[in-house]
Amino acid sequence: MRTCKRYMRLYRVLITQFLKGIMQSKVDFLMGLLGFFFTQFMGIAFLYLVFRQVPSLQGWTLEQLIFIYGFAQIPRGIDHLLTDNIWLIAWRMVLSGDFDRYMLRPMNLFFQVIAEKLQPDALGELLVGGILLVISLQKGIVIVDGVHMVLFFVSVMAGALIYTAIKLFFASLSFWVKISGPFLQTAYEMADFAKYPTEIYHRAIRFVITWIIPFAFVAYLPASFFLKAEVSPGIIGIECIMAVVLFSIAYVVFTIGTRRYESAGN
Amino acid sequence: MMIEVSHISKSFVSPKKYPGLKGAIKGLFSTEKIEKKAVDDISFSIKEGEIVGYIGSNGAGKSTTIKMMTGILSPTEGNCLVNGVDPNKKRKENAKNIGVVFGQRTQLWWDLPLSESFTILKEIYDVCDEDYAERMEFLNRVLELQEFFDRPVRTLSLGQRMRADLGAALLHNPRVLYLDEPTIGLDLVVKENIREAIKEINAKYKTTVILTTHDIGDIEELCSRIIIIDQGKKIYDGSLQKLKDLYGAKRTVSMEVRNYNQKKLANLWETLGVKEEDYETEYDKEQRILSVAFDKNKIHVPEILTAVMSQMEVKDVQIEETQLEDIVKQIYHSGVK
Amino acid sequence: MKVYLPFASNELKRQMAYKGAFYLFLFISLFGSFISYYLWKAVYGSANSTTIGGLTQQEMIIYVFMTYVTSSMVTISLADWVSEDVVKGLVAMNLIKPIDYRMSLIWRAGGQMLYRFLMPGVFVWIGLEFYKHYALGMPFVKFTTVLCFLCSASMSFLLYVLFDFCFGMIAFFTTYIFGMLMAKEALLSFLMGQLIPLSMFPGWAQKIFEFLPFPSMVYTPVMIYLGKYQRSELVFALGRQFIWIVLLYALGSVVWNRVTKRLVVLGG
Repeated sequence: MRTCKRYMRLYRVLITQFLKGIMQSKVDFLMGLLGFFFTQFMGIAFLYLVFRQVPSLQGWTLEQLIFIYGFAQIPRGIDHLLTDNIWLIAWRMVLSGDFDRYMLRPMNLFFQVIAEKLQPDALGELLVGGILLVISLQKGIVIVDGVHMVLFFVSVMAGALIYTAIKLFFASLSFWVKISGPFLQTAYEMADFAKYPTEIYHRAIRFVITWIIPFAFVAYLPASFFLKAEVSPGIIGIECIMAVVLFSIAYVVFTIGTRRYESAGN
Repeated sequence: MMIEVSHISKSFVSPKKYPGLKGAIKGLFSTEKIEKKAVDDISFSIKEGEIVGYIGSNGAGKSTTIKMMTGILSPTEGNCLVNGVDPNKKRKENAKNIGVVFGQRTQLWWDLPLSESFTILKEIYDVCDEDYAERMEFLNRVLELQEFFDRPVRTLSLGQRMRADLGAALLHNPRVLYLDEPTIGLDLVVKENIREAIKEINAKYKTTVILTTHDIGDIEELCSRIIIIDQGKKIYDGSLQKLKDLYGAKRTVSMEVRNYNQKKLANLWETLGVKEEDYETEYDKEQRILSVAFDKNKIHVPEILTAVMSQMEVKDVQIEETQLEDIVKQIYHSGVK
Repeated sequence: MKVYLPFASNELKRQMAYKGAFYLFLFISLFGSFISYYLWKAVYGSANSTTIGGLTQQEMIIYVFMTYVTSSMVTISLADWVSEDVVKGLVAMNLIKPIDYRMSLIWRAGGQMLYRFLMPGVFVWIGLEFYKHYALGMPFVKFTTVLCFLCSASMSFLLYVLFDFCFGMIAFFTTYIFGMLMAKEALLSFLMGQLIPLSMFPGWAQKIFEFLPFPSMVYTPVMIYLGKYQRSELVFALGRQFIWIVLLYALGSVVWNRVTKRLVVLGG
């Protein structure tokens, strides 16, 4: 309990510092926000172009796909906001030996990594997600009742955890290969493909994005629960189980990795 | 014992690299590995309150040893105990007992004002308010942190940053302080301040200090004991005085001379009754400088000067004590007597 | 030329050094292309006509994979390197050396281009040709088409890096170029035809594209590969690429001169 309080207190101190920093560089902040906003906007434009050619995609309408797209941005944005520092492990901290400083402090390593940085760029994703969500609600294509509202928050949290787990897993590979940025980058980019209904893919591919790098559980699958009454809430349950299992695996790999960390200079 | 290192080894395995563009292509398909032993079966123990200099040439394995003692690296073989804790098994517990300063790299938050770094460290190490006040008062006095306490770390000069890093490493009153090249790149005045501060901390808190350095001045001023390692192996462990007694009797006289004549000079040594193993001469043709290295217990400077001056014209003379650096070099060359 | 060759070969070596990353990267990057292949398959399955935006389903498959081959060769982001150099203060250092900064970057990009062409570009390409021949029952690509494609793709590469150099100059004016780079990548993947064939855009948008350099960066070589351009159109397409290279080269020189003047005055 005492330890927990100490971690909370420290997190608050670190985050306060970080917010002060952002306030000092508003231009950078806005540019980053714009960059991410823009990227998301292109995704929507792509959907519009595709739907100029076809009325629906295997039974899904443009409105529904836009909801899936927007819904996917929210867990992505939350993870992005809170754990962006994981990228640095993959790209340079292990190679340069900067990871040393975490090893020297009497605190949990994973906590130290994520507490060091908040990524305000993520607000661009959250903003897009929020806007699309509001549009979808206005169009009345989303199911709104007590169960769905509660499970919405559960699903978003579990989705964010899945993102974090995938990032942590691939970043941890850097303890073996020094730079795992390319692995992480490609894995992360695969998330884009779970923004479409997964039944369009070949079975093998569907299997991979559902069970191996399960971005389907962050976007398409839970989103369909909020769109179609016949989808069972069990899907959110599986999402939660996936999140916990995946994060545990990633965390174990991370822990083993830190034990064989070689620092720099050799 | 504060630190007990027993039979510790560390090897690094890396894929074999081949030179050139062809090599790069070959490397894509090769699975050959090279194993390098950075630290090879080192043992020593250090008492509480000792200041130990840990020295060796670049790549000798100094940093690797320190990193194993701090819990950053896990040893391939052997183990160590720091204040009774195995840093490899109980990293967090060990981290509370130690403070670390790497001269090349700061542990502070680059963009934050120094004061904020200390606030965060206070939380990380769970230092209570009274201890914090007491410690800051002491650190401010010894390291004069208040001058730049409100400035972001990235704007500090190297000397200020080093003082800040040292202060940060000491905030939680660690039992052991590891300093990896703490005075690298600093000017003489700052170096002196840092050394004084280390001494004072050691005296007041009985902090055990382990110091790696290339600066012999650090060692002469701070360390009662030194450990020398070379190619991953410990080659000397003992007092500085003993090392000096063993090797420090050497001196060098350098003379700028005209009409140098080696033969005549050789005859001269014989007439003086000096044995060949007691001296070493070297002549630099370009600068016309003749250097004679000798054992001060066996030959005296005037004897050499008289001898040389009787044979050739001497324009300038310089006498050098053998530096600890030369001793270390000599040990690397020919091992321990 | 001799001076700049090391920039290319160093980059090539640097890329090859990450062996472990390489194999997986190859695998997963292809995996991504397969997914967009399935997306298009679904689109064609739901469409009422057999051609969409002037492409049949077979042609769309070729489009997807050739876009991958082409853009992996072409889209080498010089701007990343420029911003890195600016942050580290290396640009001023480069001004002292007797080499042209832009040329050294382009050669370095050339090294990376060659690497990406060899791995995995060529393999995907050959695989695609076999797939085309045996699964889709289409003839192998003609040798002259390959030549035209390679010629066009090389120009695309030059066009892209020259453009990216100009874009990288933004790094001199803001410390946080990351957001801009992202926005650029997103916009370009769209305008170059990397994401979706340009023929699927509304008519007015296609008119605007006529006056932009971006379609020449990926869309043009892929359309050449698909045999969509006849003699005069082909010459026109290649000519347009060439003109854009000249224009962007000139623009880059102007901007660079401005920036270095500023650099000399302000220090960097």
